[in-house]
Amino acid sequence: VVSRGPSGPPRASLAAAVGRLMERSKREIPHFYLSEDIDLNAALAWLTAMNDQRSVDQRLLPAALLLRAVVVALRDAPDLNGHFVDGCFAPRDDVQLGLAVSMRQGGLIAPVIRDAHTLDLQSLMGAMRDVVGRARAGSLRSSDLGPATITVTNLGEQGAASVFGVIIPPQVAIVGFGRVTERVWVADGMIGIRSVVTASLSADHRASHGHRGSRFLTTLAKRLATPEELL
Amino acid sequence: MTRAPAELDAIVRAALADIAPEIDADNVAVNDNIRDSFDLDSIDFLGFVEALHAATGIDIPERDYRTVETVAACVAYLGRRMADGASG
Repeated sequence: VVSRGPSGPPRASLAAAVGRLMERSKREIPHFYLSEDIDLNAALAWLTAMNDQRSVDQRLLPAALLLRAVVVALRDAPDLNGHFVDGCFAPRDDVQLGLAVSMRQGGLIAPVIRDAHTLDLQSLMGAMRDVVGRARAGSLRSSDLGPATITVTNLGEQGAASVFGVIIPPQVAIVGFGRVTERVWVADGMIGIRSVVTASLSADHRASHGHRGSRFLTTLAKRLATPEELL
Repeated sequence: MTRAPAELDAIVRAALADIAPEIDADNVAVNDNIRDSFDLDSIDFLGFVEALHAATGIDIPERDYRTVETVAACVAYLGRRMADGASG
C-alpha cells in the first residue's frame, strides 16, 4: 500500500529506501556497540525548575537536553563526527545532527538539525520541534535532508529501555537513548532511586574504537550531571 | 471566563486533531488515555498543551500533565482552572 503525506514522498518507497540504506550499512560498516547508564536526576530536576518559570511555548524537553549534551560531548570526540568516504574518515568541526523520527503511521526518517554546534539549548529545542513537526506533517524541505555528520535516535517515553542504532552511511556513529526509567542506583556507597537513561553508541571501527567511544559516553554522562552548563 | 463542558470538549478534541491529524478526534472515548492510545511522544504532548493554551488561555504546568491525559480529565481540569480564574 502506498500512501502519501501532504507533500511527502510515497511512504512505501521511503521505507524501501531506508531498508536499502540499512542493508548497505550492515554490509559495509564494521559496527561496534557500547552503552552506559546515565543518572538523569540532576538534569531532570534542573529542567523541571526551569520549566516551572516558563510559559508553555518556552518549555524544554529532556530530549533537547540529551541532544545538546551529545553536541557538546562531540567536541572531545572528533572521530565520531564526520564522513567515511573513499576509504578514509574525514572528521568535521561542525555538527549536522541527524534525528531519527518515527512517523506515526509507520516508517522512519532522519532529518537534520543543521549547524547544531551553533545552537544553544533553547534554539536546539526549537529546531528539534520544527524538524520533527515537518517530518510528521510530510513537509520536510530538501535542506532538512542534507547529509548529517552524526545521528541520534531517541525512543522516548513509550520506547524500550535501550536502543543500538544502525549507522547511516557515510556517517560513522549513531547515538541511542532508551526510555528514561526509575532504577535502583548505587552512588558514593549509597543506594537510591534515580531516573536513568541508557545511552548507547554504535560506531564505525574504521574511524574509532572502544576506548574512544567509552570516553564519549563518559563525557556525555558528565555533561548531563551539570545541566546548567548546557544552556 | 468560564465555558460549558461541551465547549471545552470540542476544544480538547480540536487540540488533539491539531497535533495528530490522523486521529478521528470526534470519536475518541472520553476516558481513553490519549498518550497511550495514540502513541503521543513528549513533543506531541507539548503541542497539545500549547494548543489548549491558545484556545483557552490556560497554561497547564508540567506538574499537571499527568492529570490531563484523557478528554474527560482535560475538560474537568480546564473547567476547574477557569472557574478558579473567574472567582479569584
